[in-house]
Parts: sequence; structure tokens; C-alpha cells
Amino acid sequence: MRLLIVDDSNMIRTRISRVVQNGGLKGVVLAGLAKNGVEAVRIAKATHPEVVTMDLTMPEMDGIECIQALLKFDPKINILVVSALSDKSTAIQALKLGARGFVAKPFTDEELQIALLDVADAR
Amino acid sequence: MATLNENDLKLFIDSIRHYLKVTTRQEPQITSAFLGTGDVEGFEFNGIVTFSGSHNGNVIVSMPARLVREILLLQHETDLSDSNLLDAVGEIANTLAGNARKALGPELQISVPIKLHGVQGIKARVRKHPYVITLRWNHYEALVCVDMERRH
Repeated sequence: MRLLIVDDSNMIRTRISRVVQNGGLKGVVLAGLAKNGVEAVRIAKATHPEVVTMDLTMPEMDGIECIQALLKFDPKINILVVSALSDKSTAIQALKLGARGFVAKPFTDEELQIALLDVADAR
Repeated sequence: MATLNENDLKLFIDSIRHYLKVTTRQEPQITSAFLGTGDVEGFEFNGIVTFSGSHNGNVIVSMPARLVREILLLQHETDLSDSNLLDAVGEIANTLAGNARKALGPELQISVPIKLHGVQGIKARVRKHPYVITLRWNHYEALVCVDMERRH
């Protein structure tokens, strides 16, 4: 399973990458790291990820726009939103657009692993 | 325009406490929370998120290098460059601002974080009377400055 990590924070991109690589998520391969929605779409078109972790507040193209763009390109992409925008309406909006899960920042490694496994299982 | 009330301020106190507890497993000690009346003395690394929509203003997280490095090390981060320290403090400000929407409502719009290096950074950004939350985490001092008001 190829994973694309989208977040404007290097700290978060590195952390999610580490959780995936060291956390026993078997079969997960890192497809790429993107720091905004524009980069994410470009990398997704080149690498065809099955799962994407998606921040919402980002420069250039935000997460909501990026979810729409990615699902238009490939409706089978499983998107896990990882965002500090933890209010219910934001989560509902992301899920309505087609995201498969939502993890609120700040998160523990365990919370992220469980959410990623849930999204991967939903494939 | 309406200024923040006690509950709004508590929201940010709880938020920084929760952030450090979850990411480092060590809760900070909140050492004071007050309405600033003069220049706010910040630290070297500053993350700022601007509010719009239902509120105007910003939240600033100001931390010394050693504290930010410790946070990164606890997350097994090996890049301890100044740019990564700035990225981290910006992400903390982003998380506090984003979490505030849970209580203040989805009409609260937040910007991507601005990052400023240098103790003067915070002085240029705050107005005369911001709310200041000071904290101690793992022997290091830091502060969160909340300078916002409701638009309606």
C-alpha cells in the first residue's frame, strides 16, 4: 500500500513517516511527502498512492480543495484527514467530500496507527 | 467588538497543556495567565496564527530553542536546525488555533502559521493588552499570547 503524506509542517510529515516506518504498519510504503495541495496532486499523479494523510490548513491549495482534486483524479484514494481543525463541522465536511477518517491534532502515535489501519482496511 | 472572556482564555490554557501532554507525555505547569499591560518579552522562536471570520487577532506561541529541541527530540526528530525549530513552533500555534474552533465555532478562520525568529518578533505582533499565558515545561519557560476579539 502506497502512502502519500500531505502537511505543511515538516515536523508532522517526518513524524507520520516515522510512525508508518517504525510502527509495524506492514505493507505500507511511502509514496511521497507534500507540503501543500498543489504538490500533493502532482505527486499523486506520478505515484498513485492508495492512502493519503491530509492536513487541512495549508498554503497554495488547502486540504479541502486537495481532497476534491485527488478524488476527482482517483475516486479510490483513501484519505485520512489529520488536522488541528477539530470542530465537528470541519470533520463532517471532509467526510462528506469523501475522506475516510479524521484524526485531530495533537495525536499520539497509537491514535495515528489505528486510524491508518482503519482507513487501509476500508479499501 | 468584544474582548475575550475567562472561558476563552481557559480554552488556550487547556489547549497548550493538552498539546504538550499528548506530544511529550509531560504536562506543562501553567505559571501565570494575565492581561498584559506593557511590552511582552518573548523568546527566540515564535509561531503566529492570525484569526479572521468571527474573530480578529492572533495567537502567538513563543519558545526558547532548548524547549523546542526537546519537543522534537521526544518525537525522535533528528533535524534540529533553526528552520525546523521554527516549523515546530508554527505547527504548535496552528494546533492551538485550530483546536479553538471546537469551542469558538467554525466561523473562526485561521491562517497558515507565520514564523518569526528572534526575541523581538513577538513585540512587533501584539497590541497593547494581550492575554499572556506563561508556562514551564521540563524546566524551560515559554509563553502563549492570545490577542483576539469577537467581531459580532
